Amino acid sequence: MTRNILAPLTLGLVLLFLIGPFIIIVAASFSAGETLAFPPQGFSFKWIAKVFTVESFRQSFGTSLFLAIGGTLAALILGIPAAYAMSRYRLPGAETVRFMVSLPIVVPGIVVGLALLRYFVIPAGVPILLALFLAHTALILPYAVRVVSASLANLRSDMEEAAVILGASRIGAFVRVVLPNIRGGILAAFILGFVTSFNQVPVSLFLSGPGVRTLPIDMLGYMEIVFDPSIAALSSLLAFLSIGIVLLAERFLGFSRYV
Amino acid sequence: MFHNRAEAYALALPAAVFAAIVFLVPVGLLLSEGLHGPGGWSLSAYVQFFSEPLNQKIFLRTLKLGLMVTATAAVIGYATAYAIVSMPAGTKGRMIGLVVLPMMISPVARTYAWIVILGRTGIVNEALKFVGLTDAPIRFLFTETAVFLGLLQLFLPLMIISLVSALENLPKDAVPAARILGANWLQVFVKIILPLTREGLIVGGTLVFTGSLTAYITPAILGGSKVLMLETLLYQQVTVASNFPAASVIAFLLIAMSFSANILLRRIATARSGK
Amino acid sequence: MSFLRLDGLTLAYGKTPAVEGLNLDIHRGELIALLGPSGCGKTTTMRAIAGLMPVRAGQITLDGRDITRVAANRREVGLVFQSYALFPHLTVFENVAFGLRLKGMSGKALEDKVMAAIASVGLTPFAQRKTPDMSGGQQQRVALARSMVMEPKVLMLDEPLSNLDARLRLEMRTELQRVQKKTGLTMIFVTHDQIEALALADRIVVMRNGAIEQIGTPEDIYNRPESAFVADFVGFETIFALKDGAMVTKGEPVPVPDAPAGAAALAWRPRAVTFGEGRFEGTVLSSSFAGSAREYLLDTPLGPVKAEVDAALPAHDLGATVRFDLPVATAAALRRAE
Repeated sequence: MTRNILAPLTLGLVLLFLIGPFIIIVAASFSAGETLAFPPQGFSFKWIAKVFTVESFRQSFGTSLFLAIGGTLAALILGIPAAYAMSRYRLPGAETVRFMVSLPIVVPGIVVGLALLRYFVIPAGVPILLALFLAHTALILPYAVRVVSASLANLRSDMEEAAVILGASRIGAFVRVVLPNIRGGILAAFILGFVTSFNQVPVSLFLSGPGVRTLPIDMLGYMEIVFDPSIAALSSLLAFLSIGIVLLAERFLGFSRYV
Repeated sequence: MFHNRAEAYALALPAAVFAAIVFLVPVGLLLSEGLHGPGGWSLSAYVQFFSEPLNQKIFLRTLKLGLMVTATAAVIGYATAYAIVSMPAGTKGRMIGLVVLPMMISPVARTYAWIVILGRTGIVNEALKFVGLTDAPIRFLFTETAVFLGLLQLFLPLMIISLVSALENLPKDAVPAARILGANWLQVFVKIILPLTREGLIVGGTLVFTGSLTAYITPAILGGSKVLMLETLLYQQVTVASNFPAASVIAFLLIAMSFSANILLRRIATARSGK
Repeated sequence: MSFLRLDGLTLAYGKTPAVEGLNLDIHRGELIALLGPSGCGKTTTMRAIAGLMPVRAGQITLDGRDITRVAANRREVGLVFQSYALFPHLTVFENVAFGLRLKGMSGKALEDKVMAAIASVGLTPFAQRKTPDMSGGQQQRVALARSMVMEPKVLMLDEPLSNLDARLRLEMRTELQRVQKKTGLTMIFVTHDQIEALALADRIVVMRNGAIEQIGTPEDIYNRPESAFVADFVGFETIFALKDGAMVTKGEPVPVPDAPAGAAALAWRPRAVTFGEGRFEGTVLSSSFAGSAREYLLDTPLGPVKAEVDAALPAHDLGATVRFDLPVATAAALRRAE
């Protein structure tokens, strides 16, 4: 049977195509040479070390971290109640709410970034960091609502009714019964939101100013000027960070169940 | 199911209002800007935009690349998904993990790798020189091919994942049954697999297509100003030309394409659930 | 003086009416079954009593107190859900302690009370188990203990036996009766299974299309159904309406001079049909053996008739012509023909 060779072969080539570039980046980050090349010239940690000395990287990493954590938290604070309302109440206009909340998936990020710049930042003097925060929150919102909705759908609503009949208030039932049971979903939403925000480029493209840049934008800017392996080193570090988080989540939570 | 309407709105409205203020209002204002001419409402921005041959070319290129990436992803996606689905459960999970892995990595890093591969002193050129096929490096960067490869690498996982779940829901004995009835592999694909996995194909296709349309980094790094796409053109129109009406037109085109793809997707999803 | 009173209770889902103008009086310590097919409003009524369903019109009074607008968490009613609705993140102990903790109980008093409740349903060794690891029968006992420990004025159970296998069903039925007799608790359970209702309840409330069709003891309901609907529900297979002193059949009307006064229809169980002799003739459409008895479905000029005979008698082939009779003496006289 030729098929038995063909299938793994296809899969192998596809994986090479998908993961090969990543391996090249990792290899290049340990290069001893001055320019980006593969196979790398020699082996050293100098580029990895250099990443930590570039002041703008440290600053933009901080900005990105703030946006990813703050934006995701804000999106969850807005998204969990919305998901709860849509799954547990007869809500006239639920479709409109769902549509509004999922808009950020449909509207390209670059358009949103430009629109915020042009109508919030410039005329109204909204600080760029705040605009970035709003944009990232809105961007994560659809994922937060979707993942939390999915775990609410798996949770029978009669459990809350049982809690209420046993004397709990509506809020009490939510805190004591719903939250503990959708914890995994919320954490999954958090990770998904974090990774989405952290890797986001188009939204942040127009929303950068002196001292306020997200890390990917900063990397793009750096690449235009310097072509050394430090970007490769930084990319690998970030990649391992993301993969590490996701693997941990998968191990302890079965993350993939929620996404 | 609870019945208190005020409570429901109190819970749902903050998110909806937030999305309205941060998204709908500014984006709406941006779109309306393209509909203003010197003397009030007009389509002059659109007329002007499309009268520029370069803009037409960029619009068509964006569409073309989007479709090509989607079609290629579909073909490769079916082969890969079929290979994954026929594996034993443990290996299958690991393979899916490997396919998803790149999606966790910053697109900047993923695109950046292509410079190493396709650059003047990149792997491909070095390899060609080594086997003696060329002596001068061939330019791969800043070509449509480079953008195509970058986009494909970026969005292929979405297609594979969609098709894997579609193929997993395929009735277990459908393919062997068709084989026993005398169908060859092509017939099996066209008559059995394709119709039964149509939804997965459309979901994956929509994701890949809209992803390719709205990607910025890949065309920016691998296409540069030689291979402009709508996203990079938009950026250029704003930062270089300060041409906001044109930017508004591009924004409209992007939203319209992304919207139509999503509406198509929703149609099919609701047609399936029979509502 | 009734303990729980529903007075003109009207309920609706959005614009769809679910229950209309329902009146019901339940006495202290009674075991009541709400019986009916799905969609008849029985579960909706139960949810309204629990406070999970807003009341459109009418009044609910419990132990002399109007609870129509009282929030569900202040009603002092218990509800065992069909799915049991246990809290999967909590142990058996914590599930049972849930309501008591909300009341502010803690320490030794709480522990004693919870353990006593767990012991009363025979689950002492399982107190520290998480509930998803338990069998359906055990889960139901936890749900029962969780409701009972709150000492509700009324305990309601939604289809309490439907998720159990046949053996557990019998066991649980006995258990429920035992609990009820021991505590004197007022209990209402909802079911679509007439056998369950007949076996368990002091009184049965048969519901149909959001209204009460008949209220009565199991004997009343089983032997003296008032309507064709109830008759059909409790196993009367052959029902004919009466008009001008004659049965309305598929063919010619059949005069019934000796029909009881006020009867709107006559109904026969398969057992009550005289088989092998009589005024009518039919052909055997199907015949099925059921141990001690054999059931025949006959195609007759009157319409289909189901008859049950002793299995010891010789069997009739399909298509055979047999005589039968529908004696008024063995019929139930119905007051409503629908």
